Amino acid sequence: MAAARDGEFAALQSLLKAPSRDAVRQLCQECFSSPPAGLGLLAQRACPGLAADPEKAEQLVSALHNLTRHVVYHGLTRAEDILSLFPENFHQNLKNLLTKIILENISAWRNEAQASQISLPQLVDMDWRVDIKTSSDSISRMAVPTCLLQLKIKEDVALCGNSPVVSALIVELSKETLDTMLEGLGRIRDQLSAVANK
Amino acid sequence: MGLLNFTRDPVPEAVSGDMQSLNQLSAQQFSALTEVLFRFLTEPKEVERFLTQLSDFATMNKISLGPLKNIVKSILLVPNGALKRNLSSEQVRADFIALGLSEEKASYFAEQWKANSPTLTRLAVGQTLMINQLIDMEWKFGVTAGSSELEKVGSIFLQLKLVIKKGSQTENVYMELTLPQFYSFLHEMERVKASLESFS
Repeated sequence: MAAARDGEFAALQSLLKAPSRDAVRQLCQECFSSPPAGLGLLAQRACPGLAADPEKAEQLVSALHNLTRHVVYHGLTRAEDILSLFPENFHQNLKNLLTKIILENISAWRNEAQASQISLPQLVDMDWRVDIKTSSDSISRMAVPTCLLQLKIKEDVALCGNSPVVSALIVELSKETLDTMLEGLGRIRDQLSAVANK
Repeated sequence: MGLLNFTRDPVPEAVSGDMQSLNQLSAQQFSALTEVLFRFLTEPKEVERFLTQLSDFATMNKISLGPLKNIVKSILLVPNGALKRNLSSEQVRADFIALGLSEEKASYFAEQWKANSPTLTRLAVGQTLMINQLIDMEWKFGVTAGSSELEKVGSIFLQLKLVIKKGSQTENVYMELTLPQFYSFLHEMERVKASLESFS
């Protein structure tokens, strides 16, 4: 993998033309967060000043994206590990700056990666209410408590991108159903504490 | 006929005739018939069995099945109405007497009614409308070992599958919860349980 990236590291040298350290920092963050498909747009927007032509701009943005993602993927946390990624003849100050920026952002990037991983629809909110049924067509007088539970479920983040679809589902539970459900949830909790205590 | 407790509508003409036929039965026959009826009322899905038992009764007591079915239809009017209106066994007895059944048989039936009414009430409540009733819940939890963005993860996930009755079909709803969400969900459900218990 390192060999394939020598060309990429050459592209990173364009950063030497950046107006400030903050500009480099900003670009690193944007390159990490962008999906591969969005890199073209990022290249156009971010690099009129940094690269001589659009092709160089794209190479730079792609190199930054791959570098940051590689670090986050392998969970590198020490400066030495990151520094050793760069080739021997890479510009010393730029190497130190990039390493510093990556180290600053690594835990935020890890959280971002975890939050956007594929999953089943996520539960985002729940509300409940207890009603007392007093009458129905099958029996004219009764006092039966029942629970209405509203679950807000968000579809897979990867599918919806910036406009997540949240659906609300209302479920009715009788007392018996709730007791059975709590039994199940209690078993989950017991197993979780067994796993945690191992 | 006077005011009846179990219904406000006029009773079909045939009923008083049917009650007289019932009066002709011996106490033993009436008690056997009552048993068949209540077994059906407490298990309304067992229609086949009910019809078989009725035809057995007809054969054993040398009564023709057709008239017997009409008699049974008349009798069943009372418990069905009584259930809807939460009638006491006294009221059920009074209604049968008003319809023409002998006091002895009316009292017997009313006693059987009293004995079976908790089961029957529970059945009626169970038939009450429920919206998106939760029928079943399946779960699994595990550890995310890695992903395309992170080689080593090690976070716990919990997946729930809820089976919900929507009208006559069932729908499966899948969702994932993080650990803190699970604990907060559990906490809320315990609060609901406490609330439901205070109202029972």
